[in-house]
Amino acid sequence: MNRAQAFHPDRRRFLKATAAVAGGALLIGINWSRGVEAAEQEADGSEDFQPNAWVALHADGRVEITVAESEMGQGPYTLMPMLVAEELEVPWSSISVLRAGVDPVYGFQLTGGSTSIKKGWVLLREAGAIARQLLLMAAARQWGIAPERCRARDGQVFDDSGRSIAYTRLVGLAASLPMPDKAWLKPPEDFHVIGQPLPRTDVPQKVTGQAVYGIDVRRPGQLFATVVHPPVFGGRLRAFDDTGARESPAVVDVFAIDQGVAVVARDTWSAFKAAQRLSIDWDPGERSGFRSQDWEDRLRGYDARPPSREHVRGTPEAVTGDRIEAEYLQPFQAHMTLEPMNCCVHFDDGKLRIWAPTQSPSLAYGSAKRLTQNRIERGWHKLLNKVFGGYDDSIEVNTTLLGGGFGRRLEQDYVEEAIQIAARFEVPVQLVWTREQDVRNDFYHPMTYHRMAAELDAQGMPRLWLHDIAGGGVSSWGARHDYAIPHQRIRSYDFEPPIPKGPWRSVAPHFNVFAVEHFIDELARQAGHDPLDYRLQLLPDGRLKRCLLRLAERVKADGLNKNERIGYAAASTFDSHVAEAVVLRDLGTGRYRVDRVYCVIDCGIVINPDIVRQQMESSIVYGLTAATLTEITVENGQVQQSNFHDVPALRLHQLPEIFVDIVDSTQKPGGLGEPGVPPLAPALANAWLASTGKPLRRLPLRLS
Amino acid sequence: MKLRINGGQQEVEGADPDTPLLWVLRDHLGMLGAKYGCGIGQCGACTVLIDGEPTPSCLIRAADVGDAHIETIEGLAGDDGLHPVQQAWIDEQVPQCGYCQSGQILTAVALLRNNPQPSRDEIDRKMSAVLCRCGSYPRILKAIAKLSEE
Repeated sequence: MNRAQAFHPDRRRFLKATAAVAGGALLIGINWSRGVEAAEQEADGSEDFQPNAWVALHADGRVEITVAESEMGQGPYTLMPMLVAEELEVPWSSISVLRAGVDPVYGFQLTGGSTSIKKGWVLLREAGAIARQLLLMAAARQWGIAPERCRARDGQVFDDSGRSIAYTRLVGLAASLPMPDKAWLKPPEDFHVIGQPLPRTDVPQKVTGQAVYGIDVRRPGQLFATVVHPPVFGGRLRAFDDTGARESPAVVDVFAIDQGVAVVARDTWSAFKAAQRLSIDWDPGERSGFRSQDWEDRLRGYDARPPSREHVRGTPEAVTGDRIEAEYLQPFQAHMTLEPMNCCVHFDDGKLRIWAPTQSPSLAYGSAKRLTQNRIERGWHKLLNKVFGGYDDSIEVNTTLLGGGFGRRLEQDYVEEAIQIAARFEVPVQLVWTREQDVRNDFYHPMTYHRMAAELDAQGMPRLWLHDIAGGGVSSWGARHDYAIPHQRIRSYDFEPPIPKGPWRSVAPHFNVFAVEHFIDELARQAGHDPLDYRLQLLPDGRLKRCLLRLAERVKADGLNKNERIGYAAASTFDSHVAEAVVLRDLGTGRYRVDRVYCVIDCGIVINPDIVRQQMESSIVYGLTAATLTEITVENGQVQQSNFHDVPALRLHQLPEIFVDIVDSTQKPGGLGEPGVPPLAPALANAWLASTGKPLRRLPLRLS
Repeated sequence: MKLRINGGQQEVEGADPDTPLLWVLRDHLGMLGAKYGCGIGQCGACTVLIDGEPTPSCLIRAADVGDAHIETIEGLAGDDGLHPVQQAWIDEQVPQCGYCQSGQILTAVALLRNNPQPSRDEIDRKMSAVLCRCGSYPRILKAIAKLSEE
């Protein structure tokens, strides 16, 4: 990615102009207006062609594609340009990627919920197609023939006699043509970019150390800051003594902000060291007695109150017989992005410039606007913009690469802190949290308690299914399965979160699918059925069932060793369908190893099979970490864990072999970043059940 | 303080004598390839080679490095292009978020220098020092396997 271009002033002027022309309509669709710069091109003879906010063709043949999604490893810097390039018909090697700034032309920028491809699938192909249509029309006009006789390929237009002309020679003319009123999208059988395992655009810079994450932002004159937060949830600052902290000549200032005490220094280490030497008197607040164990007990007594939501099928209350019951528990989880929270902010002569590794530049912008209403200059036109819902361009959000996201960077708390700190300086200030602050000031995946009950018919198949979910900030998403069970009742008991709660990779399906899929195996075992056959019998024909069948074939082909047992789980989440199987090997003396994981995904039309594969590998490793290694516990209002020694992550020597199969599909693309996570934990628990005859009803699963 | 880095000599001025090598590299020398992840030698994102040994640069004071030779990700590619490990990382499309990859690559470089055909056990022991939250491990194994065949 070309950083110089990303901050090129002309580029911003263009985007501003585009936004100004289009107004509020942008939120519902693509803006085809070429804005002021296109008109300027005609006037000044410039040879760049920017038919819309996503595409810029340069006279030297470079094609810049703007991406409005955050790159945190899941591939949007490759996938989104592929969608544009497919329709634009340009060589992949000519493409460079630009990260969008905050601008209404891109709509509300938030990368999460496995939605990027779903949102971009039509929009970005149309962006490419419109540009291609203009170039075709330009060639046709130049040759004096009908546009129908022209076609585009490899950055050139050809006519039916074999004549060709490069896009670069058409840009001036193309820029002067009226916008087509409709995008002509290619039929899928003509795709030659979509479906290819193209290498990721962000990889070369990531193997040379040149990739710029938030923590790598360096601006002239920059200072470095860190924050000490209250050690207890809900704690408040009473007073602090910074005598020791200020002994270092590298320390510039120490002061209170809303969230704690900030230390500003000439380098990061000096800020960290000074922060440790602060003596702070905290008011522990009302939650200083909070214990996660007490919370667990409270969740067990959830039904003292009415449910928040209830989903009923059939007449579950009329089914009265012997019930099989089980309860499941998932702990609080932290995100543990490898890059800790950080943000650089510069109050720069009436402008507020932000550099953030954020999943939502739009939320960061909103935070900035709210915090600084009176701090930055706003002229008359800016007031108008504000009144008419426009964009305040005195705030600039530059989104860097993200060293992991997993939902954590949907929260903008670290951006807000950095703004508060930098507001005292005229130079840029970069806030970096220590890992300890990161672990203890997260927005946690909620603890959930599940009570399951079922009744089996004479054939051993469930005819009644009851699932109650209790937790702080929970829903039944992922609990509403596809199994053909005539009488069902799924209730969620949504409590006020006792500690900050946030989205965490695969969100509610992570805990709900675990309960559903492990309970299905428990029922199959009780009924004396094979769990895989049981599932197949209960699942209606459809995409998920086909995934499971394909998975079973794959597993059968590989076979199992004598000391191995297998567990299956499957779920449709985020508009994709995933079946996984975990092979557990008995190493003797009570030790087990996760030896292999098989995965079949149907995510609709595949944009890039290598990235699909990569996201499944990633989901399985993420799922294994949560299923077997980590939990966050709280004593006296304080998170007990603090770093990777007590919130471990799966390491390479613990890696099972992973096999991923991708289903060919002509359906609309589904999500990729998250749907591979939920089936992992129950598949593992099911493998344990098959190995030992015992269920594992509580995460993290202890495999011994 | 003078440091020998990537075949050259670097002068460091004004750093607190306690400053770990990681922060001298990042904040005093502007070499940003080594990353901060934990500060306690657990995650390996800050790994550099010191006299060829993979070392978490967050745990060693720059002042204690002395004459030892430091290799960082910035020095790995030569005039004739990328280091073979970097190239293998591209060929196998290893990185996702990429934040740990400087540490992964340098650890693999040291592993393969010591033994161009490491056993799986040796790979496990050496490479497990660097955490990857994205789960790039299957591809790290493929890249190393490919390099050890060459």
